[in-house]
Amino acid sequence: MPEKNNLKYYILFDTNTHGFAMQALLKEEGIPSRIAPAPRAIQGELTCGMSLMIEPENIGDVRRVLEEKKPRYHAVRSLEGQINPHRDRYC
Amino acid sequence: MIYLDNAATTLHKPDCVIDAVCTAMHTIGNSARGVHGGSLDAARTIYEARLKTARFFGCPDETGVVFTSNVTESLNIVINGLIDEGDHVITTDLEHNSVLRPLYRLENERGVSLSFARADNCGRINYSEMENLIRKDTKAIVTTHVSNLTGNGLDVARIGQIAHKHGLLYIVDAAQSAGSIPIDMERDKIDVLCFTGHKGLYGPQGTGGICVMPGISVRPFKVGGTGVQSYLKTQPVEMPVRLEAGTMNAHGIAGLSTAIDYINRVGVGAIHEHEANLARRFYEAMRETEGVTVYGDFGQEDGPRQCAGDPWKARGAIVAVNVRDYDSAEVADILAMDYDIATRAGAHCAPRMHEALGTTDRGAVRFSFSYFNTEEEVDSAIAAVRELAQTN
Repeated sequence: MPEKNNLKYYILFDTNTHGFAMQALLKEEGIPSRIAPAPRAIQGELTCGMSLMIEPENIGDVRRVLEEKKPRYHAVRSLEGQINPHRDRYC
Repeated sequence: MIYLDNAATTLHKPDCVIDAVCTAMHTIGNSARGVHGGSLDAARTIYEARLKTARFFGCPDETGVVFTSNVTESLNIVINGLIDEGDHVITTDLEHNSVLRPLYRLENERGVSLSFARADNCGRINYSEMENLIRKDTKAIVTTHVSNLTGNGLDVARIGQIAHKHGLLYIVDAAQSAGSIPIDMERDKIDVLCFTGHKGLYGPQGTGGICVMPGISVRPFKVGGTGVQSYLKTQPVEMPVRLEAGTMNAHGIAGLSTAIDYINRVGVGAIHEHEANLARRFYEAMRETEGVTVYGDFGQEDGPRQCAGDPWKARGAIVAVNVRDYDSAEVADILAMDYDIATRAGAHCAPRMHEALGTTDRGAVRFSFSYFNTEEEVDSAIAAVRELAQTN
């Protein structure tokens, strides 16, 4: 089974434009994020699209920015990864 | 990066295409605006592209070739310009939203009724059932040539025969086949062909078009400047200006024109053979990998045959899979981050196809191959998927 520390947070968006604006905002605030495909399990009716993946240690800072700056986004969701990041690698 | 998202756009373009766009940006003016050298260079470039495009797709008259910005624009122009209030239209579960959404809008706004040729869980339709959907008020059949999710190819010649037997228009979305699979509008009885330039034709993004058979009149989607008949209050009726208001993307069309030259030099048959060999290599490995589910029609015996003969001859070079019970987005993300392999996860703008395959909840990971991919790249993708399928 995946290790329990494989939890990630995802910010979901109605359009990619909002996502890129959010990443620029987080960068200004010094908060790391990474663009990732929005997982199907948490994207609901949004279906396709990008998300911003946030490491758990940064989610508090992200929530502060969301509260203070009111950027446009759809939702913040958490999801445990299914694939073990420490799996055996051969290639 | 190993780029296996060619069904979205081909990333690797021939150098001659890139050079043609650069040269055009250095040299040409605005087509049909004036008769100075710059304008004429643009006009000649576009005219030559029309001729090549007409020959490439078996369209008998180059004035029936209209350039657009992409296949979605082409389909919007054609569907809105040919379907009238109260008409009935037949389409399929294989369609991309570029077909579905224009049709759904007409259903809501103009009282157009739709019938769908349903796909089974391998993405196959039954052509007899499709013919049974025809009614007295049916105006047209609109289908993709190749599914952008499974790569399944439809037998457009067979559908063209059905359409013409019943006096219907046949409109084809060639987004995934143009440049990769031979198309002949006259032979296959295709009335209107919609294509994009930036996928299998290896042209620039922002290019696409429509090929319209003689005698078919498409209402203009936009009206405006054409450089001709300027005192006329309405859009000129002559093709192709009828459907080409505004400045053309001559720089892009110069690239598309050169891309068609490139494909003609290599040969559509040779391109298809290479792409199909890569897709087959990937498919054969995937179907033998425990924990991997492959979606689509690969010539299974249990079900309606989509095409006569070798199914790979009519398939696009697309293989969609899922790995174990993993979310397709996570698999695509791991492939990109850990293996530097670009694929496409999610719904692929093909909602009805995912419903038919039973993959609405998790999507699928789509691998799509181009003439510029290699067997070594395919083998790297196979090894990566197998590693993911074995982990945990």
